[in-house]
Amino acid sequence: MSNEIWVVADLTIDGKVRKATFEGLSEARRKLAVKLGGQLCGVLLGSGVSGLASELGKYGAEKVYVIDNELLKDYTPEGYSIALSELIKKHEPHIVITGNTSIGQDYFPRVAARVGAGLTLDAIDLDLTDDKRLKVRRYMYSAKSIATVEFLDHKPMMTTIRPNVFKPEEASKNPEVINESIDIKPERILTKTVEVKRKESTRPELTEADRIVSGGRGMASGDNFYLIFDLADAIGAAAGASRAAVDSGFVPYEMQVGQTGKVVSPTLYIAIAISGSVQHYAGMGSSRVIVAINKDQDAPIFQKCDYGIVADLFQLVPALTEEFKKLLAQQ
Amino acid sequence: MKIVVIVRQTPDTEAKIKVASSGNSIDIEGIKWIVSPYDEFAIEEAIKIKEKLGTGEVILITMGPARCVEALRTGLAMGADSAIHIKDESFAFTDPYAIAKVIGQEIRGLGGFDLILTGKKMIDEETGQVGIHVAEDLGISHIAIVTKVELSSDKKKVTCQKEIEGGQVVAEVPLPALLTCEKGLNEPRYASLPGIMKAKKKPVKEVTPDNINVETLGLTKEALGQAGARFKVTKLEVPQVQRKLKVIKEAEVPEAAKELVKLLREEAKVI
Ligand SMILES: Cc1cc2nc3c(=O)[nH]c(=O)nc-3n(C[C@H](O)[C@H](O)[C@H](O)COP(=O)(O)OP(=O)(O)OC[C@H]3O[C@@H](n4cnc5c(N)ncnc54)[C@H](O)[C@@H]3O)c2cc1C
Ligand SMILES: Nc1ncnc2c1ncn2[C@@H]1O[C@H](COP(=O)(O)O)[C@@H](O)[C@H]1O
Repeated sequence: MSNEIWVVADLTIDGKVRKATFEGLSEARRKLAVKLGGQLCGVLLGSGVSGLASELGKYGAEKVYVIDNELLKDYTPEGYSIALSELIKKHEPHIVITGNTSIGQDYFPRVAARVGAGLTLDAIDLDLTDDKRLKVRRYMYSAKSIATVEFLDHKPMMTTIRPNVFKPEEASKNPEVINESIDIKPERILTKTVEVKRKESTRPELTEADRIVSGGRGMASGDNFYLIFDLADAIGAAAGASRAAVDSGFVPYEMQVGQTGKVVSPTLYIAIAISGSVQHYAGMGSSRVIVAINKDQDAPIFQKCDYGIVADLFQLVPALTEEFKKLLAQQ
Repeated sequence: MKIVVIVRQTPDTEAKIKVASSGNSIDIEGIKWIVSPYDEFAIEEAIKIKEKLGTGEVILITMGPARCVEALRTGLAMGADSAIHIKDESFAFTDPYAIAKVIGQEIRGLGGFDLILTGKKMIDEETGQVGIHVAEDLGISHIAIVTKVELSSDKKKVTCQKEIEGGQVVAEVPLPALLTCEKGLNEPRYASLPGIMKAKKKPVKEVTPDNINVETLGLTKEALGQAGARFKVTKLEVPQVQRKLKVIKEAEVPEAAKELVKLLREEAKVI
């Protein structure tokens, strides 16, 4: 058993390192590495990924394990699980971390089951107990409670982290790069990727966005969502929606925020014509600053926000967009 | 086609969460229990597949205390054929690894299956991994968080659509396979009155701790509960976020917008 802490890089479909990876490296360095007296390592899985090692070094990785294999070009649960679990068996790290992305959530459970590790998902706080067991905090019961979860005996201890919660912080290291060849038998990869459809959007992704503007049922139609998009674009925000707006067919499901939608934690969340149901709050309650715009002064959202305006959105939102534009143009 | 649906009973989404005196779990007094919403999508999809094929069998399975039979009855009333209840009060706090092993053993005992469906996560503890653990345990493929399911006409493959960051993926796996269901997959039906009546007569097999052969699962007896878990919740808190609650009322629109932008810049410092 080594004292290494691994952060496995999350890559986008275009093969770029996701911000969540840098957030994981930064928080692991601040909160775990020193206390554990262990080495902070990056892990890269993919095809043609060796060149990314220096990026992990920039955020503090002292060593980077690379499994560069043609069979890891497209993500498959089998390929990634074999690669990571074999690497874990060989080097026996103490802690293994990745982002709580659609990929991290997909193969980490398989890896944990395969190596007999404990795994928690979507941690918002990382720490160690005095005897060096991993201790995380995570939401339970749809953001209505926060649990402190301590790992018991089984190693390694694995967790995914919620994107956008930890602060990325550079700590330039020149990492030692270790190329590992793991034998992946092509016949063990049963998942076939038939198609990858990219969304052409200039806006940031909801789960990674630092600012989000969402619209609810009060938007009254899909056409009116241009008001949300204009405001979002004015401040470089992602655009979201309540379930009522999605179920009414105004916008697609991928924009839904909430218990049965995306869980987001931006610095700024602007909820427009959203009443503030517990299920919506479950998805955005960990935002740092919440702004509500609603014409009903008794809407529950006004009990859950930092700033609110009681007004008709059709009048207020265009004015607000203009104000933001004016302010940001001055810079 | 034999379809297994792994379901879980969770508190109602509106439930007020109070921390029990133990400090590390919820006070279940007065809680209304429902089928975890994502598992409802799984049940609905299983029934739809059976209806479409005109033949097949839908078997529900759950692990948990006596009250969970209600979740099974709901699924049976929607149209599932039978259910398995791995039942004991001591099962609370069993870790996902052990839950999956026990559920896996029961599924193996069915003498073959084609498809396993479950929710993408349970909405209470949200461990988010039981389904995929089961797939790993049974040595079958999985596709997680699916929003569209299509069986090949020879019933040997399943093709699913899933949302990922920045796009959508269509993936295909051979059967048997496990799928975890996401919202958007379907609209779960309500149980009809005749459905509810029929459900009462449908078989629910009970499995007790004595029926679980822990050794063959590579587990210890303690693993079926907190004592042998890989982690434990040491503290549960209701988040106390202090929101500023500054609400601008009865202001002219331009002034209100100006005021808000000023607050966001100068006070909150987020713009
Ligand atoms: C199992 C389950 C899961 C759920 N999951 C989710 C989820 O993931 N996400 C989610 O959002 N919901 C979810 N819901 C639904 C949730 O309960 C609410 O129904 C939903 O959030 C309401 O959306 P809304 O606030 O847009 O609509 P409403 O509650 O109808 O609110 C609309 C608001 O718009 C205001 N308004 C109307 N016109 C104007 C105007 N011109 N100017 C200003 N304000 C205006 C109204 O005053 C009102 O407050 C779930 C429910 C269940 C049961
Ligand atoms: N004790 C259990 N019994 C049956 N199903 C469960 C149990 N725990 C979790 N599940 C299922 O596993 C899925 C994933 O849940 P989880 O990984 O625990 O968040 C849920 O949708 C449930 O259907």
